[in-house]
Amino acid sequence: MKKFLAVFLVLAMALSLAACGGAGTSSSQPAGGSSSGGETTGSKTAITLWTYPIGNWQKAETVDQFIAAFNAEYPDIEVTVEYLDYTNGDDKVTTAIEANNTPDIIFEGPERLVSNWGAKGLMVDLADLWDEEALADISAVSEAVVNACKGSDGVYYEYPLCMTAHCMAINYELFEAAGALQYIDQDTRSWTTDNFVKALQALKDYGQGINTIVYCGGQGGDQGTRALVNNLCSGTYTNADHTAYTANSPENIEALQLLADLNSQGLVTFDPGIQASEELQLFANGTAAMTLAWNASNEASYAEQVSFTPYAMNFPSDDGVAELCGGIWGFGIFDNGDDARIQAAKTFIEFIADNAEQGPASVAATGFFPVRASFGNVYEGTEDADRMATFASFLPNMGDYYNVIGGWTQQRTNWWNMLQEIGNGADVTTAANAFVEASNAEIA
Amino acid sequence: MASKRNNGSGGTSHALMVKETISAYLFLLPFLIFFVGFVLIPMVMCLRTSFFDSTMGRADIFVGLQNYVTMWNDEIFRKALLNTVIIVVVAVPTVTAFSLWVASVIYQMGGRLRSFYRCIFYLPVVTGTVAVTVVWKWMFNYYYGLVNYLGKTVGAIENNVNWLGNEKTALWCIILILFTTSIGQPIVLYVSALGNVDPSLVEAAEVDGATNLQTFWRIKWPQVMPTTLYILVITTINSFQCFALIQLLTSGGPNHSTDTIMYYIYYKAFKLFEYGYGNAMGVFLAVVIALFSAVQFLVAGKNNE
Repeated sequence: MKKFLAVFLVLAMALSLAACGGAGTSSSQPAGGSSSGGETTGSKTAITLWTYPIGNWQKAETVDQFIAAFNAEYPDIEVTVEYLDYTNGDDKVTTAIEANNTPDIIFEGPERLVSNWGAKGLMVDLADLWDEEALADISAVSEAVVNACKGSDGVYYEYPLCMTAHCMAINYELFEAAGALQYIDQDTRSWTTDNFVKALQALKDYGQGINTIVYCGGQGGDQGTRALVNNLCSGTYTNADHTAYTANSPENIEALQLLADLNSQGLVTFDPGIQASEELQLFANGTAAMTLAWNASNEASYAEQVSFTPYAMNFPSDDGVAELCGGIWGFGIFDNGDDARIQAAKTFIEFIADNAEQGPASVAATGFFPVRASFGNVYEGTEDADRMATFASFLPNMGDYYNVIGGWTQQRTNWWNMLQEIGNGADVTTAANAFVEASNAEIA
Repeated sequence: MASKRNNGSGGTSHALMVKETISAYLFLLPFLIFFVGFVLIPMVMCLRTSFFDSTMGRADIFVGLQNYVTMWNDEIFRKALLNTVIIVVVAVPTVTAFSLWVASVIYQMGGRLRSFYRCIFYLPVVTGTVAVTVVWKWMFNYYYGLVNYLGKTVGAIENNVNWLGNEKTALWCIILILFTTSIGQPIVLYVSALGNVDPSLVEAAEVDGATNLQTFWRIKWPQVMPTTLYILVITTINSFQCFALIQLLTSGGPNHSTDTIMYYIYYKAFKLFEYGYGNAMGVFLAVVIALFSAVQFLVAGKNNE
C-alpha cells in the first residue's frame, strides 16, 4: 500500500509539474505556439502588444482608439495591450522570454529590439515591411534611423515610427536674472563650452545653489550625461563603425576632467544618488538651473509643474555645434513560430506606422517626430505646433546613433559607475580607461 | 476466540492505519506539489545551471566550476559579499536586541496600549516596501530632505549631506531602513513569547528576592529562547537577502558601496542574462545562509537545552 501511495504521489507531482511547463534549461529559442496570450482560432487571430511608456502610448485611452481604428479595417485581428514601465519593463520581457511567453509585438527602441533581442535571434525579420517606398521615405529623413533598425547581420528587427533628438534645458528667467543669457546664442539655442563655464560662474555668483547635476545613480536618462561629456570637447562615444567605445579619447578625458574640476569648484554637482527622473524633478521645481534630460515629451510632462520658462538648448560644445543623442522608437515582432500571428502583427504595424491617416496620429501620440518624410509636420495646426517646431529644429543636430553597439546594456552600468568614481575624486584617465576596457570586453 | 478477536482487532487497526496514512498524504499533497515544484526543483535547477555558461538565446555550455572560480575573482562580488556580511552582522543583533527591549517594555502594558504599540512597530512591515522606500528616499534627499533639514536645524551638520550618494553613509542608511522594516515581526513575537512566560516562576523568583534583571535573565530569557532562535534565523535570512531597498534606493552605488549579493545576482541574471553566473552566486548565498543558520541553531539551541 505504501509503495502504491508513493508511486501515486510521484505521478501526481510529475503531472502537476508537467502542467506547470517548466523547461529544464534556460535556452529560449522560440518554439512555436506559446506566447503571451496570442492565439489563432478559426478566422480570428489574437495578438498581443507590449508598449513601453513612450508619450501617450502609455495611456489606454489613446492606444484603445488606435486599436479601434485598426479593427474597423481588420476586424479579424484582436489586439491586447500591456503597458510596461522603464523600471520593471525589461525584467518583465526577460521573464517572458525565458518562459517562452513573449508578446507578439513590442514597442521600443533599437538598443532593445535590435542590439539585444534581435541579436539573440528572438525577433522576426521585418524585411517585407521595409519595402522600397518605406526605405526611401525613411531614408529621406535620416539614414541613421534606417541603419539603427538593422542588426549587425543586416536584418531589420525594428520598424520605426518616431524619433527625436535629446537636448537639455535651462531655467530662462534664472539665467536672465543672473545675467547668463549673454552666454547663449538664442537664435540657434547653442553655446560654446567656454560660455557654458561662464554661465555656470554667473549663476553661482548670483547665488544659485545647484547649477547642473551630473546624475549618476543609475542608467535612467544617461543619454544626457553622455551628450554632455561628448560635446564639451567634441569627443565621440564609440568609433564610427560601432566596434569599440572611445570614452577614453583625449577629447573625452579633457571633458571629464573639466567636469571634475567644475565639480570641485561647486559649479557642477556630481550626484550618485539620483537618476534623470529625479534631476528633471529638481529642474521642474526650480532647484536646479538646468536639466540634461530634456525633450519634447518631457516638456509636455512637466508643463504644469514648472513656474518658469524651460528653455530647450543644445549641449555646449567647444565649437558651438552640438551633436545630440537621438531617440528612435518603433515596433518589433517576437518570433513565436506562429505564421498567422506574425502576419497579423505585421498587418497591425503597417496600419499603425504606414497608414496615411493613422501613421501621423500614431506619431503625434508619442510626442516626437515622424521618421517618414511623407508625414510632414504632424503637429501643424495643433496647439503644440510652435512648441514642437522648436524641438524639430534640434533634429538636424542629431549625431551618430551609436546605441546599436555591442555590450550596450553592460556599458550603461559601467558609465554611471565611472561618473560616480570621477565625482568622488578618482583619477579621470584611470576611470575612463577602466570604463572602455570593461565595456569593450562586453562587445560580442 | 481470543485469537480471532486479536486478528480482528489487528485487521481493524491496520485498515485504520492505512486510512489515516492516505488521509495524511492527501492533506500533504497540495503543499508537497507546490514545495517540490516551486522550491525543490528550482533549487536543483539552480545548482545544475551554476555549472553551465547559460544565457538567453542559445543552448547552455557546461563549464564545470568555472562560474565559482569567476565569482571568487570578481572584485564586485567580493565587495557585495563584504557589504552583505556587514548588513547581517549589524542588523541581526540590533534588530533582535531592540525588539526584545521594546517587547519587554510593552508586554506588561494594558491591552489597548500594548496593541497600539504593536501596531506602530508593525506598520512598516505591512506597508509596502516601495512606499516605505519612497518615504525614506525623500527623507534622505540631498537637496530638500528631512534628515538634512533636521541635521542643520540642530547643528549636527553644517551643509547638506548626500546620504544615499556618499560611499561612507549609503550602506548605513540602508541598514537603518532595513532595521525599521525588520523589527515589527520580532516585537510581536517577543510580546507573545514574554506573555507566555509562566508567571508562577516569575513570582517565585521575586519572592526569593531576585532583582528585575535577574528575573529577566534567569527566568524569562531561557523561556523566550526558542523565539529568539526563530527571530535570529529569519532576521539573518532576511538580511542576507536584502534586495528591494538596494534596487529602489541606490542600484548598488555609489561605487558599489551598497551592492549586496542578492542585488548582484539580480543584476547579473536579469540585466546581463548571465544565468549560470547568477545561479552560482545563488548557490553560494544559500550555502552561507545555511551555515549561519546552523551555527545559530547550535549556539542558541545549546543554550535552550
